[in-house]
Amino acid sequence: MVEVDWVSYDPGRVKAAAESIASHMDPVMVHFIENCVSCAACETACPYYAVGEEYGPVNKAENLRKLTRSQLSILPKIFPWLFHAGVPRSAEELNKWAEMAYRCTNCGLCYVTCPFGIHSGEMIKLVRGFLTKTGRVPTALKAMIDLEVSTAYNQVEGFKKLWSEVLEKAKEAAGGELPLDKKGAKYLYITSLAEAMISPEAIVSAVKILSTMGVDWTMPSDPLSIRAPVGALAGDGEAAAETIKRIYNYIKEIGPEYVVLSDGGYPYTSFRFDLPKIVGEKPPFKVIHFVELVLEAAKRGEIKFKKGDEKVTWHSPCKMGRFAGLIEEPAEVLSMASSNFRKLASHGLFNKCCGGGNAIACVVLPTLNFLGKLTGMNMKISKEEMEFLKNLEHDMHIAGKAKIDEIKESGADVVATACVGCIHTIRMNARVYGLDVAVKNIVEVLADKIEKA
Amino acid sequence: MDLLDFAIYVAPPYVVGIFAFGATYRLLKYLLFWKRAPRPERRKRGAGHLAKELVMTFLDPIIQSIKRKPHDFITGLVMLHILGVIPLIFLLSQHIAFFAYWFPPYALLEPFAIPLSATTGALSAVSPIKPVSEMQWGFVNTIWGPLTIILNGDVLAILAILGVSYKLGDKIVRRAQGLHHVRLGDFFDLTLLLLILVFGFLAAHHLPSGDIVTYRLMLGIHIILAEALVALLPFTKFWHFVFSFWFGKLHEWYDLKYTRGV
Repeated sequence: MVEVDWVSYDPGRVKAAAESIASHMDPVMVHFIENCVSCAACETACPYYAVGEEYGPVNKAENLRKLTRSQLSILPKIFPWLFHAGVPRSAEELNKWAEMAYRCTNCGLCYVTCPFGIHSGEMIKLVRGFLTKTGRVPTALKAMIDLEVSTAYNQVEGFKKLWSEVLEKAKEAAGGELPLDKKGAKYLYITSLAEAMISPEAIVSAVKILSTMGVDWTMPSDPLSIRAPVGALAGDGEAAAETIKRIYNYIKEIGPEYVVLSDGGYPYTSFRFDLPKIVGEKPPFKVIHFVELVLEAAKRGEIKFKKGDEKVTWHSPCKMGRFAGLIEEPAEVLSMASSNFRKLASHGLFNKCCGGGNAIACVVLPTLNFLGKLTGMNMKISKEEMEFLKNLEHDMHIAGKAKIDEIKESGADVVATACVGCIHTIRMNARVYGLDVAVKNIVEVLADKIEKA
Repeated sequence: MDLLDFAIYVAPPYVVGIFAFGATYRLLKYLLFWKRAPRPERRKRGAGHLAKELVMTFLDPIIQSIKRKPHDFITGLVMLHILGVIPLIFLLSQHIAFFAYWFPPYALLEPFAIPLSATTGALSAVSPIKPVSEMQWGFVNTIWGPLTIILNGDVLAILAILGVSYKLGDKIVRRAQGLHHVRLGDFFDLTLLLLILVFGFLAAHHLPSGDIVTYRLMLGIHIILAEALVALLPFTKFWHFVFSFWFGKLHEWYDLKYTRGV
């Protein structure tokens, strides 16, 4: 198991990490690596470009190109200086790579802006994987990965208490006992500890919607993950696959027709689109978000809305919109729920990023303190990592300003979204920029408005 | 045999050979890294939506460039690509003649030929008399008509030279700012392109002197450098024109629009 290390430099470890990353290539990644013409069209699309020009996607992704040239190409191996090939050669350089790799939310704006369809975020994910293998991984993120892979989170008192409190509230919302771990249920609702921590009301509201709809549903009695697959955020493909496979086996045991999620962040995309590749087979169930469930039920006339008039807007999480195609559907549902729904200026494929996704918001100091209080875990942070975290928090506020600005412009009192990371980031950034707005999961906005037809 | 004869009559098959080897190597790499994996169930969207999104996948970067980086759009895309190298390479009359010598069907593009200089263009537009020429066709008959006053090798080459110079300057500034995504290869590629354009312009104007030896040398250097570009194409960023631009955007469409239903 890799230990967190922000201080030392071990050439053997760096070499092994580089070899490991270079062995995980596919044709699409080869295209991303080899076909950049360095036009830098991507850079102004990136939320972190506001922090500095060096954080443009093309510049951050160049580290993976350097690394793979040193491993996979003949001439760059012989003449590394001529072809810009190589890996970090000092502790400081490793830290610099980490600084760049953690200024990426993997929001995909660079992907759709690139004239060559190069997804720099996926490349930076591999750089994170390399860094994790060298020990450059935020302590909080590493702790979450280890807890998730080992399922030891189920032994942490703070988490156990939190989960039982959320289930208690959900029970009240359902108006009776919850159908936990019910085999053969048509709908399996999957949530996470992160959702319980950041937006517990989303879980309660999800249960309320399922109960109101009167469908045959179930949910796990214990949380299945911290926020599966959290390993992916550190580029740790093995940890991510292990968690996904474990949860996949649980789902198969239950045998639902549909897996429903309220978290429209990376868990949704992972289960909806990445699952078959990870488990090596087509899953015998469909994966949907609550937005799809509600919209379909409304279209079939099974539910109706008590339309309100709250000023609500929709922030589209990148993993649910740009990476999963649910761009207009949430807007459609919110329009049914409120006569005062308004779209953000950047609504659509180029929706602005919250600025804190891809683990950024979950490793910064306020989150670290929150986690410490909740779990009683005392995470030892080195001086170097502390410096990294402080700067990251500062930059996250800058990167997220454009999103706060457009929320202000919209005049909304409520921001509906669906990703735990987005909720957490927008709340933190709204506080910094003095924006008084409620940030909720969309299921919270919908739960009170739905009734059975 | 001088450099010009070598460049026109000897080098092309070797250039195409090296290009073919490089292209095969690049394409084989994709095949070798390919692994079969189960695909997710796609989010179904209508054929009309998918067709529209196919166009938008190619257009969106241009729209974003106009909005976010108008200077790059004008210099990089309009001057260098759309008005510069693309019509110059494929439609300049001399180029059509050269390509048609080695590949006769290319002569089908003759009606679209662009004249070499502003003078030729102006004459084509204002002179009612077909110029006396030993060439196989007269520019007065191309579809461009009076447009050749601006649509000619001179104007397009100057635009392309300005465009590529801007790109080179941009790379120098970025490098000076410590942005490491600017590579030596960028300078090599852009310098090569600039030299091709400059030598072509010099040859077209019989510069730096009007004697035949200098003319043949300038034109010879222009063509041999262009052949070097074609031979090196699979190993440089110029590959984007042949393959990676098309592959990249089609893959993006397949990934985001077709599979995920964006």
